[in-house]
Amino acid sequence: MNKFIFSKFFKNIDKILMSLLLCLMLIGLITLASASHQNVSLIGNQIINILIGITLLILLSHINPKRFLFYAPYLYIASLILLLLVAFFGFESHGAKRWINIIFFNLQPSEIIKITIPLMLAWLYHRCQNNIGYKIHTIAFIILAIPCLIILKQPDLGTAILIGFSGWTIIFLAGLSSRIMMVTGFSFFLALPYLWSTLHLYQQNRILSLIDPGRDPLGTGYHSIQSMIAIGSGGFLGKGWSYGGQTQLNFLPETSTDFIFSVYGEEFGLIGIITIFIIYFFILFRCVVMAQKMQNTFSRLAAASLVFTLFFSSFVNIAMVSGLLPIVGAPLPFISYGGTSMVVSLIMIGIIMSLHSHKSLIAN
Amino acid sequence: MNQHKFKHIFSIRLNFLFGAIIFIFFILLIKIFYLQVIKFENYSALAKNNSLKVIPIAPIRGQILDRNGEILAENKLIYTLEINPKNENNLKTIKQKLSDIVEITKYDIKKYNKILSESYYSSTLPIKINLTNIQVAKFIANQYKYPEIYLKQKFARFYPKGKSGAHFIGYLNRINKKDMKELKKLNRLESYRGLDHIGKTGIEYFYENRLHGKPGYKTIEVDVNNQVIRTVSTIHPQHGKDIILNINYKIQKVAEKAFGKYKGAMVALNPNNGEVLSYVSQPSFDSNLFINGIDETNWRKLNDSVHKPLINRVVSGIYPPGSTLKPFVALAALENNIRRPPFSIIDKGFYNMPNQSKTFKDWKKGGHGEVDLIKAIAVSCDTFFYGLGVELGIPKLNNVLKRFGFGKKTNIDMPNEKKGLIASAEWKKRNYNKKWYQGETAITAIGQGYTQTTPIQLALATAKLINPNKNLRPHLLKESSTSNYMQDRIDNSINTNDLDLVKKGMSLVTKEGGTAAFIGKTSSYNMSAKTGTAQVFGLKKGEVYDESKLPDKLKDHALFIAFAPSEDPKLVIAIVVENGGHGGSTAGPIAKKVFDAYLNEHN
Repeated sequence: MNKFIFSKFFKNIDKILMSLLLCLMLIGLITLASASHQNVSLIGNQIINILIGITLLILLSHINPKRFLFYAPYLYIASLILLLLVAFFGFESHGAKRWINIIFFNLQPSEIIKITIPLMLAWLYHRCQNNIGYKIHTIAFIILAIPCLIILKQPDLGTAILIGFSGWTIIFLAGLSSRIMMVTGFSFFLALPYLWSTLHLYQQNRILSLIDPGRDPLGTGYHSIQSMIAIGSGGFLGKGWSYGGQTQLNFLPETSTDFIFSVYGEEFGLIGIITIFIIYFFILFRCVVMAQKMQNTFSRLAAASLVFTLFFSSFVNIAMVSGLLPIVGAPLPFISYGGTSMVVSLIMIGIIMSLHSHKSLIAN
Repeated sequence: MNQHKFKHIFSIRLNFLFGAIIFIFFILLIKIFYLQVIKFENYSALAKNNSLKVIPIAPIRGQILDRNGEILAENKLIYTLEINPKNENNLKTIKQKLSDIVEITKYDIKKYNKILSESYYSSTLPIKINLTNIQVAKFIANQYKYPEIYLKQKFARFYPKGKSGAHFIGYLNRINKKDMKELKKLNRLESYRGLDHIGKTGIEYFYENRLHGKPGYKTIEVDVNNQVIRTVSTIHPQHGKDIILNINYKIQKVAEKAFGKYKGAMVALNPNNGEVLSYVSQPSFDSNLFINGIDETNWRKLNDSVHKPLINRVVSGIYPPGSTLKPFVALAALENNIRRPPFSIIDKGFYNMPNQSKTFKDWKKGGHGEVDLIKAIAVSCDTFFYGLGVELGIPKLNNVLKRFGFGKKTNIDMPNEKKGLIASAEWKKRNYNKKWYQGETAITAIGQGYTQTTPIQLALATAKLINPNKNLRPHLLKESSTSNYMQDRIDNSINTNDLDLVKKGMSLVTKEGGTAAFIGKTSSYNMSAKTGTAQVFGLKKGEVYDESKLPDKLKDHALFIAFAPSEDPKLVIAIVVENGGHGGSTAGPIAKKVFDAYLNEHN
């Protein structure tokens, strides 16, 4: 009897995907233990974050995608309101207003929007699947642009780009003609100088210091340089767990959150990084296979967009700590310390699993 | 758009995105490979630079001791107040805060800023040096008020004898830019990390390398705030070696006391091995003034004084030898078989140059009567030596002077030694483009010509009268290795019989009738000597030298060379008393006091 309930509880969980994610989160915890100087309460918090996230993941995996489809516009509007609330009532941290205090915990609406935008856009294309054309693409673009602009004003360039990317994947997957894609890409390129002028000075500095980190080694370039030193000095085999000098002597900033990958790179070396990349490959592969198998427009678009959002976040974070992108302040999904990031990432996976396990429940 | 077409596009584009993600992660992997494998050495070094700091550990400088272990230079524990330059220090506030305990002067702040600009990595830097015990006690009692100020113990150089022996001991001072350049050239700059003092004069300078030692290093790991996490490795410093000198401080003290207010120099040697037992240069100065950078008032006082206290007269003072040259001139005559006893002259108080109308006066009006070579030394008969010089000629005279070490450095272990001068016809031609006159040979023979010596040269020459065939070198450092050098015999080809004649003359100087007879009267031992008086300025024709009427600075220099006991000389002394008048009367008593003290101690 018990065994029956147990297996029923987990029946919608994709075992391959779940075990890969558990591996990733375990690596994250081990790295966090070193990065936080074995701070037990921090590790405990992160374990709680993971447990909350997994619980939500399992619960979401049981929800019928019909409900997601039904609630998608409401969730989108609710998250827009939250974003606006942050703009007016949020509190500042590290010079940017991104947080809002909701009774027990600090919520970051720009993380929540990562879920609601794919659902909203998937809803749009699902609803209009029989007459997808430029009109629908334009509506999709507006739906995407509103939250992007609000987030850009927070200011949070990293998240804005990330969300823009996740929306763009849906529009792309929904079949926007490649000619239009090229034209928009070209006009974006032409608009770069204007976009540059709209950036805040510190954002411009970050980009400039990426091109030449030595330009101001104790200022903007400092984090980037220290991070590259950490990764580079890790070498092939790494310095060993808790032996990373850059990490342990605090030369590296924000070791538990944004720069946790540098800690990992310093202590576990190239071997460790290749290990993570292999895990990433299998997760991505598994998710793509799942999305390919899905039977309706909403599921396909939502699942694919959520997966790519996660991977694009991961890419941005790693590219940033290894000096390929400016330091924009983006956590590494499943590994960085932080409740919102962890829970949101697991919710995304939960939705994918629900979409995967309820193939036939939405009629085309 | 139909469902089938839509699914088809979706499927292709999904695979495309899948490939794109793999592609961008592959780029990431290339970048990471670049950082971790290709640039590994580079980033490893950067990581180490980040966290490892090297702190020099200063070696303790060697002490300077006299031959009996009396301390002449030591390291005293001093207390300093220090602040961490990494903090943002407001020196004015600190000055204000400390005002109850100790006054931070403008000079202190100037010094702090100087050290700050010159120092390598150091945890704290001194804002106040050398606190008194009361100040230390006050500070400790109120320490809680000054969390940013540290009380530190340090070793600082201290010269317990003050002015006594200051010239040969020398002093330390802060390393300046010139020293830095010099050290860089010698490739020794590394040895001075963590130190800010270096020997500037005397033994402190000459034996700097031995006294200095070698600094150690502590490698520490620091975090991003420069807080020390742990010590990685320590290389202990090699402390400097103590220097034991031949100086006998008891004798030194006696000699300095005997000098009293007179200016001048005195050096006492062991004639058998060249050991310098006493080394006086007067007036002196307090070496302690220099240690932390001499202040301007004191520096002016010392540097601008007409008495030139900073000059090390024993090696840098140049004097005409006066009659103290006569024993060596006599030897030159004997070597050339001129005026060998029993040859004698009748001295009427003047000498007429042959074939010339020019006349040279003897110091004694009316002359000394019948004088042979031995008596000429004993009574310092000028007339005898004028004639001797003219007969001998300057080249033969200079030949002997050279062999006794005149005109060249003795190579004593002291900096700034002067060469002195043996004047000759060639020398005059070269420097003045003038002919050498016979009269100049005559006055050179009584030590009043151009020929000049340092006190140390006079002492060495006198020692060579006793040991002509030993390769003597005066030295302050007491060290067994120099004994090899001592056994090094040279052939000076001095005839022993000739020497005995000269020494007989010198032994009569302190006997009845000699120029220093009054010294011999009260001595319990036999002393051989030669007095000398060197003119500071030439008398105009017809002028009479009257000591009592002349201002001090124009008075003659008094010279005195001596050894005792005459039968078995244990000590050689050379003295110059500037403006001391007649050699026997001022320089002689000083020598006697030193001999008394030394021979008393060695009997």
